[in-house]
Amino acid sequence: MKKTLLAALLFLLSPASAIQPEEVLQDGKLEARARTIDKELRCPVCQSQSIDESDAPLARDLRLVVRARLQQGDSDEKVKQFVVARYGTYVLLKPPIAPSTYLLWFGPLIGAGGIAVLLHYRRRPLAAPAPLTADERRRLQSLEGDT
Amino acid sequence: MIAEIGLYALILALLAAAVQACVPLIGAARGEASWMNVAPAAAAAQFAMVALSFGALVWLHVVSDFSVVNVVMHSHTDKPLLYKITGVWGSHEGSMLLWTLILALYGLMVAVFGRSLPPALRARVLSVQGMIAVGFLLFILFTSNPFARVNPAPLNGNGLNPLLQDPGLAFHPPFLYLGYVGFSMAFSFAIAALIEGRVDAAWARWVRPWTLVAWCALTLGIAMGSWWSYYTLGWGGWWAWDPVENASLMPWLAGTALLHSAIVVEKRDTLKGWTIFLAILAFSLSLLGTFLVRSGVLTSVHAFANDPARGRFILALLGIVTGGSLALFAARAGRLKAGGIFSPVSRESALVFNNLFLSAAAGTVLLGTLAPLIADVLNLNKLSVGAPWFNIVVPLLLTPMLILMPIGPLLAWKRGDWQEALKRARFAAAIAAAAIVATLIATNTATANVLAALGLGLGAWLLVGSVTDWCIRTGLFHKSLTDALGRARHLPRAAHGMTLAHIGVAIVLIGIAGSQSWQSENLLVMRPGESTVIAGYTLHFISADDHVRGPNYTADRATFLAEKSGRTLAVMQPERRLYDNPPEPKSTVAIRTNFVSDLYVVLGEADGNGGHIVHLFHNPLVPWIFFGAVIMVLGGLLSLSDRRYRIGPPKQAVPKTASAAPPAVPRPQRSLNWRAALPALAFLALLGVFFWRLHQAENGDTPNLIPSVLIDKPAPAFELPPLYAGQPGLKTADFKGHVTLVNFFASWCVPCRAEHPLLGAAAKSGLTVIGINYKDKPENARNYLAELGNPYVRVASDASGRTGFDFGVYGVPESYLIDKNGIIRFKEPGPLTEEILQKEILPLAARLQ
Repeated sequence: MKKTLLAALLFLLSPASAIQPEEVLQDGKLEARARTIDKELRCPVCQSQSIDESDAPLARDLRLVVRARLQQGDSDEKVKQFVVARYGTYVLLKPPIAPSTYLLWFGPLIGAGGIAVLLHYRRRPLAAPAPLTADERRRLQSLEGDT
Repeated sequence: MIAEIGLYALILALLAAAVQACVPLIGAARGEASWMNVAPAAAAAQFAMVALSFGALVWLHVVSDFSVVNVVMHSHTDKPLLYKITGVWGSHEGSMLLWTLILALYGLMVAVFGRSLPPALRARVLSVQGMIAVGFLLFILFTSNPFARVNPAPLNGNGLNPLLQDPGLAFHPPFLYLGYVGFSMAFSFAIAALIEGRVDAAWARWVRPWTLVAWCALTLGIAMGSWWSYYTLGWGGWWAWDPVENASLMPWLAGTALLHSAIVVEKRDTLKGWTIFLAILAFSLSLLGTFLVRSGVLTSVHAFANDPARGRFILALLGIVTGGSLALFAARAGRLKAGGIFSPVSRESALVFNNLFLSAAAGTVLLGTLAPLIADVLNLNKLSVGAPWFNIVVPLLLTPMLILMPIGPLLAWKRGDWQEALKRARFAAAIAAAAIVATLIATNTATANVLAALGLGLGAWLLVGSVTDWCIRTGLFHKSLTDALGRARHLPRAAHGMTLAHIGVAIVLIGIAGSQSWQSENLLVMRPGESTVIAGYTLHFISADDHVRGPNYTADRATFLAEKSGRTLAVMQPERRLYDNPPEPKSTVAIRTNFVSDLYVVLGEADGNGGHIVHLFHNPLVPWIFFGAVIMVLGGLLSLSDRRYRIGPPKQAVPKTASAAPPAVPRPQRSLNWRAALPALAFLALLGVFFWRLHQAENGDTPNLIPSVLIDKPAPAFELPPLYAGQPGLKTADFKGHVTLVNFFASWCVPCRAEHPLLGAAAKSGLTVIGINYKDKPENARNYLAELGNPYVRVASDASGRTGFDFGVYGVPESYLIDKNGIIRFKEPGPLTEEILQKEILPLAARLQ
């Protein structure tokens, strides 16, 4: 309950952007990497917001951690793992491809295939179309005469 | 008095809806015309009563009658009149009433325009509409009464969330509901068809325009919501894949598929079972969205106040509506005789292809939205699925469909010639290739640019392909202009509508490609007099005015001058408002658009030294997303104005057999069709998941509680200074040798006060209780402990929150039980309660001793 209230409150307080100028790294390339990572990390206290969108204090702490790790030379993956080691895979907005997420990652393809099979089954083999009736032939001629 | 009239009208509406649900259905089964004729009258009565009730609620809001809870909670006398009215649907109760009003309105439409429908079909359609209305009216009366009184009445109300006090959001819900509820028409027609066991061209000719109405409204509603989010939230984006947004996208995708498959039913008398299924799916996904938004099973930033009782009710409703209709589908779909046959290369096949990917996309959005829930049920690791996942998977699924989109209309019905179609599309292909190459030359080959180039190429392919198709149909460039114009005039409006709608899709696609790849952003502190440059624009910060008064808010307003190559373009005035009631802030973004790109300025907080935080964006092609959506809607409307759909189908389209007694239901070919039963089974499983999750939520396990990953792992390495000078600090090694309860607390944390006595109780029962003061000022913490008593044998200060981070703390209070070897054995991610302490922590501690 406490967390829901807190999160609701934080949402109401955050109409504008979350990241503050003093957090931004001087190195543009590093900052760009940091922003990408921010967008892939879920803020643990908020309602389905990334730490890039949230201005909860914890989201700010996490943004600073991300930047600190990047400055120490960590790879993007290592930075994310650093946060995951503390908060769990819950914080990854793009779940890793693992047996427990196979359905999530490959389900859509399997689903599309499944629907294709179902739709295919309902179709009957193609029969030769019936020849035109005399009426239709006349109509066709009159239409062709149009052009 | 007015409130009571509203409530009684609602009860009368329920009675009318009950009559509408039962009498015509029995009449249709028995072939009794007089019973069937009750339907239109009951629908009209139901609409009149719901409208009266809704009018009463609007009245109460307009006159600010604070003896009504709903008005107190969501209104205030200072609110502008517009927002007093639109605030009616800003609350859960009011929005449900609007939902029901729109449902009744659609019922009235069938009653009024449905005279040419076969009487039995009309009776059954209205009966199904009546059943849905009964469900929603019961829901409102039992769980969400908007007319409840409060005594004594307060002097004024709480006001409306400022984010809702905006024209974009004021009109977004009505359109959204017109869309959601509009799919109930296709749904009712589908159920009536299943009961009758017959679907024909006349049926499709009725379903199409209603689906089109719903689709246009939903498209506009979604676009408005997206636009609102773009210009008020100040984040520079327009879509976040939030569960609530997904809830609107899923019915849209299913509805778009339905729109296309209904064409096949109408023209070629085939794909009937599938079309019926899509009609059920589109409305079910609308209901599902309602459930997700209002029940609290998922976390979302813009959900309504969550209430498990309401969740249970909507879930039951969803179960009855969707479960019942899918069961009926399973039982009856086998009876629908397939008609026309078609070759794998044909217009039909192209439309099947479209349906395949659209419905797979709808399923994918559903999967991504529900995956966290399903992971919970299967007891897998907690899972989050957010924008990064959707941004990969959904475009991958939709791209094949978009590639084929211009080809489909170029193919003939029944048996098409793909070589001929490709030949006709080669001009579009050439333009698309040129667009890709030109984009790559103009930019560079960074991944973002390659994706953008492909997106633009696809957009160009769609755009030119759609225009090519239109040119071929009208004979433009092949015949004289007058001839072509004459042919264009004779083309059905639906054909023009399709071209226009497809052009709209192309424009949206180009907008998305550009905005995803080429957004530039600048975040800085600026003082008046300073300038900055973004994407070739120079912005001069002219002045900052504090405390500008609005009707019900005070604003900080900044004035910027936007300049490009020495020419002044615009004065831009972003604001940061603080509303009076409720006292909440809202940003007003200043946007300068040249219809190709937006310059977007957000004013942030003042830094206290005369500067303001300023967040600038340059958003190329974003306006096209919204233009494209509007063009899609215009295409839909144009198609809707087609002669064929005008006030019912032409008389000759109605089969003669239908005018008298209901036709004999053909003998079932098979009693149960296994393929038709699959959706019902899948839905049953989903229903189980929802029930389980609601049950968990009622027991306090809200979906945003995350278990610790550190259970059974050693406590993290740390070393902290003491809170009280002169006492020892705290480091990891201090846990060795005794069972310890580590409690993270702060003086600013309200629930910490509530759990405080329990910490003393834990210490008395022999536990070593250690406090870590989390992100707090030491003197505040000392005052806090002086006031409430100090239950800790040792208190450390974690002012930066770094140790809390290492422990995975996400909100104080949190408590960890650590064993003699320094291994974390238990975590309570919230305030301790007597029950948790006595039943979990103390017994576990005793075992660890």
